[in-house]
Amino acid sequence: MRNRHLALFWGIFRKEWIELKRYPFNTISGIITVYFIFLLFFFGYNFLGGNLLSGARTLEAFIVGFFIWTYAIGAYSTLAWGITQEARAGTLEQLYMTPLGYGTVAMYTIIANFFWNLIWVVPILLLMMITTGRFLHFDLITLIPLLILTIACGYGIGFITAGLGLIFKKIQSFFQILQFIFVGFIALPVEKYPLFKFLPFTLGAKLIGKNMIDKTSIFQMNGVDLLILLFVAFFYFGVGLIIFKLCERIAKDKGLLGHY
Amino acid sequence: MIKNFNKNTIIYCENLTKVYKNKKQEVRAIDGISFGLKRGEIVGFLGPNGAGKTTTIKCLCRLINPTQGRIFIDGVDVIKKPNFAYEKISAVLEGNRNIYWRMSTKENLEFFASLMGYSPQEVRHRIDELIETFGLKEKIGTEARFLSRGMQQKLAIACALIKDTGILLLDEPTIGLDVETTYEVKDLLKRKIAQKGKTVLLSSHNMRVVEDTCERVIIINNGKIIADEEIKKLKEFFQVNSYRFEIAGRVDDRLKEEFSKKFLGAKLSFDGANTLIDVDLKDSMKIYEVLEIFKAKNLRLSGIQNIEPDFEEIYLKLVKDEK
Repeated sequence: MRNRHLALFWGIFRKEWIELKRYPFNTISGIITVYFIFLLFFFGYNFLGGNLLSGARTLEAFIVGFFIWTYAIGAYSTLAWGITQEARAGTLEQLYMTPLGYGTVAMYTIIANFFWNLIWVVPILLLMMITTGRFLHFDLITLIPLLILTIACGYGIGFITAGLGLIFKKIQSFFQILQFIFVGFIALPVEKYPLFKFLPFTLGAKLIGKNMIDKTSIFQMNGVDLLILLFVAFFYFGVGLIIFKLCERIAKDKGLLGHY
Repeated sequence: MIKNFNKNTIIYCENLTKVYKNKKQEVRAIDGISFGLKRGEIVGFLGPNGAGKTTTIKCLCRLINPTQGRIFIDGVDVIKKPNFAYEKISAVLEGNRNIYWRMSTKENLEFFASLMGYSPQEVRHRIDELIETFGLKEKIGTEARFLSRGMQQKLAIACALIKDTGILLLDEPTIGLDVETTYEVKDLLKRKIAQKGKTVLLSSHNMRVVEDTCERVIIINNGKIIADEEIKKLKEFFQVNSYRFEIAGRVDDRLKEEFSKKFLGAKLSFDGANTLIDVDLKDSMKIYEVLEIFKAKNLRLSGIQNIEPDFEEIYLKLVKDEK
């Protein structure tokens, strides 16, 4: 039997790869830029008398935080930039004209992007570990679900900004500022202020840190924390999707879907 | 009631209205238009810039939400069930802007097929056929951004055709193309697409393309349909009312002025022996008024004939009269 969803997913998965391949400069410059920012933080902090180099846990937490941030901005820009670019290029309207629904296209793009983001996130992680000489623990059974739930917030926020981008065409600077606000969310101390757990990325970053630094597996983690993480992921992703649908309706009412 | 509506009507659009509102004003981009397209029909959709053509086409695709009205595509309510309608409809909306510039010809075709749920294997033969038909064989692996504008537009049409839907909406498919490529695209529409029995709504400013490709035209201006007729009938209608009077010798400029005042759009020319006066008379009784002028000026009439106006002239007359 013909599997239309599989064909659509494969089409999107290939398209994401082709675009990544045809924009090598973007990928390489992205890796270099993020690595450079890492070096700036890393050496800057030490130069200012911080103890990143001496405090092993702080340094490893810093790497984990940076790793999550890299993945989060990759996820966020897929939607925030991706949808805006498609609207500008005139291809967004074509994506809407699929019998499988634009929602399906967006979901498959997210899944494909989650995978292809590894192309630049993994080299950055390796570079950071080599630079600092600190190698983290990799337990994929724990890491993958935690990463999915944490990054889901990035997709949610990406949906919101993409939706706003459909209506207000010139909000690129807002896109960029938002990427740096993510750093704050990741670095917030949830141990001190438990309410921060409900913010995007914050609890996820801590749990991923526990796994990659302290080698705590998902089965040893606090059940309530995992439930909060699940709730936070669904909440931000869901809210993002609802706001996007609302913006999409406004864009269709105002005839802005294909405007540039 | 929609003109010529019957069970064979594949596009049914009733009282379609789109109003854009802002704080200061209300713009009626489409003002209660109704029309239908029969299965297999190729219809031209004409109108000046800002007349409401693109808005109408985008409403048919449910890319713009209409303020009012009903649209059915092969029996499917587009407003309520757009995804079902997308099984039956494909569109080229903005010339060469509907394709992925970083993807090759073949990759674009495969991707657009995947939007309908077709795998590359399933459409392999159709891709080969389209590439052959559209003369893109040598550019199969070339990224779209390196193709000429004409080729990009041909690829955009091919990407709509790979979806294999019964209905094709084309918004300005020949815009920005040189004469040669326009001819090629026209030829493709006429021979390849029409032959496959597809229903096509073609919006274009190029009257030759429309005249050569379509049997019927819908002309829209200020959001309203001002004509929905077969091109042949429009021509007949205007032929009945268009006359050429031949006056021996050259007439003076005062007559030119008088004609221009009394008969809008009257054209006077001199062929070396006679003055030719082309007049469009809505009311055939007005022919006597023309003759009265000749009599008063003592001009010798050497001939009268019905003339077949150019389709472009008909279009311009309709739009001007409506204004």
